[in-house]
Amino acid sequence: MVTLFVRLKLRLVRGGLRGDTIRQIGFGVSVALAVLAAVSGFLLFSLIRLAPDDVALNLGIAAFTLLTVGWIVVPLLAFGLDETLDPARLALFPLTTRQLTTGLFAASAAGPWPLASLAALAGGVAGLARGPGGVLLGVVAVALEFALCLVASRAITTALSGALRSRRGRDLLAVAAVAVLLLFQLPNLLLNRGLPGDPARMLEGAAAVLRWTPPGLAAHAIADGGLIGVAELIALGMVVVVVAWLWIVALQRALVRPDSSTAAGAGSVRRSWSGRFLPGGMLGAVVAKELKYARREPRGRITWFTAIVVTGVVMFSTRGPGGGEGAAFAVWPACLAALMVGLQAANSFGIDGRSLWMNAVVFSGARDLRTDLAGRHLAIAIIAVPLLTVVALFAGLVAGSAVWALAAAPTAWGVLGVSLGVGAVSSVILPYTYPERLNAFSGAAPGQGGQAFLASFGTMFGTGLLALPLVVPVLLGAYWLAVLAVPYGLLVAWAGRRLASSIGFNRLPDLLAAVSRPT
Amino acid sequence: MADAVRTQGLFKRFGGQVAVGGVDLVVPKGSFAGLVGPNGAGKTTTLSMITGLLRPDGGLVEIDGHNVWADPVGVKADIGVLPEGLRLFERLSGRELLLYNGQLRGIPLDEVRRRADELLRIMDLVDSQDKLVVDYSTGMRKKAGLAAALLHNPRVLFLDEPFEGVDPVSANTLVEVLRRYTASGSTVVFSSHVMDLVERLCDWVSVMNRGQIVAQGPIDSVRRGRTLNEAFLDLVGVRGTGEEGLSWLGSSTS
Repeated sequence: MVTLFVRLKLRLVRGGLRGDTIRQIGFGVSVALAVLAAVSGFLLFSLIRLAPDDVALNLGIAAFTLLTVGWIVVPLLAFGLDETLDPARLALFPLTTRQLTTGLFAASAAGPWPLASLAALAGGVAGLARGPGGVLLGVVAVALEFALCLVASRAITTALSGALRSRRGRDLLAVAAVAVLLLFQLPNLLLNRGLPGDPARMLEGAAAVLRWTPPGLAAHAIADGGLIGVAELIALGMVVVVVAWLWIVALQRALVRPDSSTAAGAGSVRRSWSGRFLPGGMLGAVVAKELKYARREPRGRITWFTAIVVTGVVMFSTRGPGGGEGAAFAVWPACLAALMVGLQAANSFGIDGRSLWMNAVVFSGARDLRTDLAGRHLAIAIIAVPLLTVVALFAGLVAGSAVWALAAAPTAWGVLGVSLGVGAVSSVILPYTYPERLNAFSGAAPGQGGQAFLASFGTMFGTGLLALPLVVPVLLGAYWLAVLAVPYGLLVAWAGRRLASSIGFNRLPDLLAAVSRPT
Repeated sequence: MADAVRTQGLFKRFGGQVAVGGVDLVVPKGSFAGLVGPNGAGKTTTLSMITGLLRPDGGLVEIDGHNVWADPVGVKADIGVLPEGLRLFERLSGRELLLYNGQLRGIPLDEVRRRADELLRIMDLVDSQDKLVVDYSTGMRKKAGLAAALLHNPRVLFLDEPFEGVDPVSANTLVEVLRRYTASGSTVVFSSHVMDLVERLCDWVSVMNRGQIVAQGPIDSVRRGRTLNEAFLDLVGVRGTGEEGLSWLGSSTS
């Protein structure tokens, strides 16, 4: 049974790679990275041997814990990449739960990344063991810790797999993913603000708590190498058994419960009142639809959310003791926010994806496409202009004076206009499909990564280039030039739409094909 | 009588594979026409090219005498489309979807509202009109898609597998609406591989196989005394009867 599952997994991997050069390259890179991670993980881990004993132990505890957390979080974000992850697909086979458990466990262990983490964990024995007892216990500890990683990760994905396949569950998780990313930014922010106390003390404090977690027990057992270590390993083994049991329970439930993705029960949406203030006809229809999408589509929400967060991070991290003060420090975060917001227009039709045909069967000339683009731009502006005003005001306050917002806000609006104009052109030249996957951060459909990269960087570069004559003088002190920013932005946006619609209308079928690729 | 749809030598190739190899499709005005063929015959590709969603590699498409690819203005206002799959704006409610569609086509908002309310009532979607399309079942999606395609009162309606995955109750609603629509002189072209349905509904049928039209005309002339299913199997050529092999299958005790 175990070999069957491992072979199934390997066959799925091979089948997924067949005939797709980009994916083959991707897989090759992934394997190479895994090998690199395995070797460097092992070496780095062994190197902590050179540190004093207590520091080495603290480092080991922290590393073991991080690896476990990584194992729990990462598969959640990348759900759907691994066919054997979803137990519901195996529900019809006459398998006992024990067979399923051992089989799935073996299948999840067979892969470049699990083996790489096993290698890195093995480095812990080299780094932490002091004497033969430590080595002996170390081998057991690493095996148990590896099992814990896999079992915990499987238990969580299995328990959530029903929820992950439903729409609301995925929406929720996509938002949660942003929160996780934010957490990763937190240490960076703290370091930038100049943390009270030194890193060594921080590590010690963290290790003192983490030492009692299961991964901490494993690391401590290796370093201890005596009877206490044995006791710790027994405790760890019990944890693994309990988590595995939880996994089995979740698996049994997942196999007999109905798939929640087919269950009805979604609520109604309120009829929109915003339509009343919009112009009628095509323009108003597009604006209303885009505003609804910004609110209801998780990918839409995420782009707005990340734009704000990144700007916030930049605003605070440049204002350390070393950072300067002055109007320029109000202007440039606001412009950055404008660029980030504008970047979502670099692939305007991507969010529509496969439903874009509905527009395509209506458009009978370049003029219609121009109206569509104008509607999209207007919708972004309706949200972005007040938002950028707040950002400018806030950046002004952080930099020293709210008055500076008077220069920052119009400049940001202008940059937004420039980025929308450039984005319109890249939307029709380099369109690509947004995957409808849980992972809201993966950029494009398989095989379109290059296009996605070119589109966003092209837009960023183009915007930067066209915005330079506007932003640089303002940054250098010619604040009155901010008055010209808005007309300049409007002009670029208009020209971009005009160019994009004349190119795009002739390419409409290609555009349609590019944004509705299978993901 | 002019033809509602006429293609000449329509051709499309994907990579090395010819999906549609010179299709001459004719549909007379006012007919309820079925486009039938086995999976992979090129029905969807043909319909996509006729409706302007996929660029042909060669050939001519005319709807009511207007060339689709040279004169889109004359064509697009006159056709309604329900493409393959269930591709609708997922994050709009059914009602919002119809309103969006009508406004996009330049119909005054009051008129769009009136038509949308009527369509939703006839399609039996009133209870779920304020739910997001993403939460709709297959039948509801097909009905919403058909309502969106009918909203601007097109003269020719193209439906790709409108009855696939639709329960009998919803299918009956769809059929009633389409019958009323063709009775007024409008044209429906739909693809299907459910022969019984095509036989019951259509007065004109085009049979496709491997990227070609192999038979076309009034249904009785294609059928020639047989059932449509028999005629279809003869035209397409039955591949393997399934009598050899599988000796273990079944509950015989020998």
